[in-house]
Amino acid sequence: MLTRRTAVGAGLAFGSVACAAGFGAYGQAPGRTREGRSIDTLFIDESFETPRQMAALVEAGGRALPVVRIRLEAADLAGLQRVLEKSQAVVGLSSGATLFCLERIAWDQGFRLTGRSQRCASGPGEACLQDLAAFLGGTHPAASPPSLARAYRPSRADGLLHAWVMRRSAGPQFRQGRRDV
Amino acid sequence: MTMKLPQNVSQADFTAALKAFAGIVGDQWVFTTDEDLELYRDSYSLMWGEADERTASAAVAPDNADQVVELVKIANQYRIPIYPISTGKNLGYGGAAPAFAGSVVFDLKRMNRIVEIDERNGYVVVEPGVSYFDLHKYIQEKGLKLWIDCAGPGWGSLLGNALDGGLGYTLATYRSHFDAQCGIEVVLPNGRMMRTGMGALPGAKTWQQFKPGFGPRIDGLFKQSNYGVVTKMGFWLMPAPENHTTGVVTIPRFRDIIPLVDAIGRLEQSKIVQGLWNLSSPTTGTSGDGGPGGGASKQKDSKILAILNDPGGVDMDKLDAAAGAAGIPFWACEFNFYGPKKLIKAQWDCVRDALKEISGAKFKLDEIRALPLSPEELAKMRDAVTLGIPTLKTFDLGPMLSYEGEDVVGHIFFSPIIPRTGEAAIEAMDVFATIARKYKLPYPPVQFPASMFERAFMYVVALPVTRSPTVNAKIREMFRELVLIAAERGWGEYRTAPAFYDLIMGTYSYNDHALLEFLETIKDAVDPNGIMSAGRYAIWPRHLRDAKG
Repeated sequence: MLTRRTAVGAGLAFGSVACAAGFGAYGQAPGRTREGRSIDTLFIDESFETPRQMAALVEAGGRALPVVRIRLEAADLAGLQRVLEKSQAVVGLSSGATLFCLERIAWDQGFRLTGRSQRCASGPGEACLQDLAAFLGGTHPAASPPSLARAYRPSRADGLLHAWVMRRSAGPQFRQGRRDV
Repeated sequence: MTMKLPQNVSQADFTAALKAFAGIVGDQWVFTTDEDLELYRDSYSLMWGEADERTASAAVAPDNADQVVELVKIANQYRIPIYPISTGKNLGYGGAAPAFAGSVVFDLKRMNRIVEIDERNGYVVVEPGVSYFDLHKYIQEKGLKLWIDCAGPGWGSLLGNALDGGLGYTLATYRSHFDAQCGIEVVLPNGRMMRTGMGALPGAKTWQQFKPGFGPRIDGLFKQSNYGVVTKMGFWLMPAPENHTTGVVTIPRFRDIIPLVDAIGRLEQSKIVQGLWNLSSPTTGTSGDGGPGGGASKQKDSKILAILNDPGGVDMDKLDAAAGAAGIPFWACEFNFYGPKKLIKAQWDCVRDALKEISGAKFKLDEIRALPLSPEELAKMRDAVTLGIPTLKTFDLGPMLSYEGEDVVGHIFFSPIIPRTGEAAIEAMDVFATIARKYKLPYPPVQFPASMFERAFMYVVALPVTRSPTVNAKIREMFRELVLIAAERGWGEYRTAPAFYDLIMGTYSYNDHALLEFLETIKDAVDPNGIMSAGRYAIWPRHLRDAKG
């Protein structure tokens, strides 16, 4: 687990890299390519202390990027659905278990996992933070979803964090609101 | 890209069928690309990436039951094998992938209407795409005084979970989800729509109030089968209770489980205990499989740990002695109670009266809390499914990280039903602990049975799934061994993943497989073209039985 000093230090590095990569508010980078378009939301796994610290750093840094804290519960997931409905691309930092669930929920909104950092496997060190910043800046190279789907362990017990990006695809979007009769 | 074809279907016919499907649902709801079909693979498949992995050739997503009728007619015309799914998240017992490779998945997620909900009579009618999250949210938004009984992962479909024989965590009447259903609308394999029970009466006012209907009660034919596409289903819902609490009884010795289970059985059969109860062990530090409550602290006593970690197995007599010396009870049994305070207190008095005969039993009733709980109180709970609140916290629990040097990417459940006696529980613990040691499975040395079913125990063994064909082949053999060992003892599985349908149905072989032969006779009668969910729960249509020899 990071100490506060380490987290703050890493957060500062994260902030500077993120700034350089150009992440920021909604729609601040018009005209980008599909892979390069701006990120709508940063998802943070509430069940880990470190992402919470990082979320606080992002917020304290005055970024306009909305930070959504995720717990795998009914109340939070309703909010998650609303965020996904309005988003085109989202970035997250989470356990493999949370990513596994979010990925499948997001499938129904037309999202696909297009990037995931292996370098977060040993904790959110500087390399991981650089990857996260690259995801936020839309500069991380995309990978094909099938290889990504096979490549991570959907666990929380391993204590590992994954940085990732999901983008809305041209595929089916099942969750367009439930209909009452 | 080469399009995958269903078996025995020509390219021309498949193309024509897909075009006809698109004519019903729209082009955007017919999926044939690799990227889209990737979503219909079973993430927990033990045959991932192997030639025998069962994958779909295409997927079609209708919006309503009338479209399902038309799609089924087209499938018959071109002899296209189809495989309906509700939300496709039945992980651990199979996902969205078909039982017969090359089938076209009918993805019913878009059919997500809550057709009717009746607070006064306590029921709901839903389409297949309605998840536990959806219904819970709807009830909250409308302020209805109703509870749902949800499966562990809340993203599942009420309808799909019931058809698969799934379970929940509240009162016994509602926990067995198929038993809680009342009224089915189904599109038969010939494309004809049918309603069961009172729903067969045009304008029926009691479709969701009277299960038997008139004539044979055939609802069960649609559970774990392939006789139609269920497009609506009614469920009885529980009135929101006023209060909830848990009470814990600790019992000192291992073999005290025998009188414990007998006494609880009488309370349950008398409908005095109706909430879920869950076994854990302060001695072994093991939680039960029955639900989210009753968590046990990790054992730290060195003498007890030495006995638990004996590579030859746990000597229960030695364990009892060591635990007794340390003043640690073997069993903790946690009961869930719901309702008015005076009812909860009366139920607890009955539990005390019934269990006080067990020497050394101790009792602790927690604070009776008014419902609904505040968000702060809910946040303190390990899981809220015992309060009818869906979550995905079950995905946090997996203890297996690697097996045979491979990352564990999922699990499949081996779930035998064993008698509701302490003797059977002890036997099952021993049998499955022996297998776990043999295969070096990363489990606690002793695992406990779950009590979700009213009159029988369920033993749940989660076997690891990897992405290594070699390791997965070994796990398939392990699963096979477990099934056969269980069958030798008269224990059968209640549910399984598609890869093991045939294996397990093969154990239900009384009188030269009379049950399967009956099911196949029905199959041939209602689905002569064999288009509907071929192979689901080992029911194969005639032409594929002939091909298999």
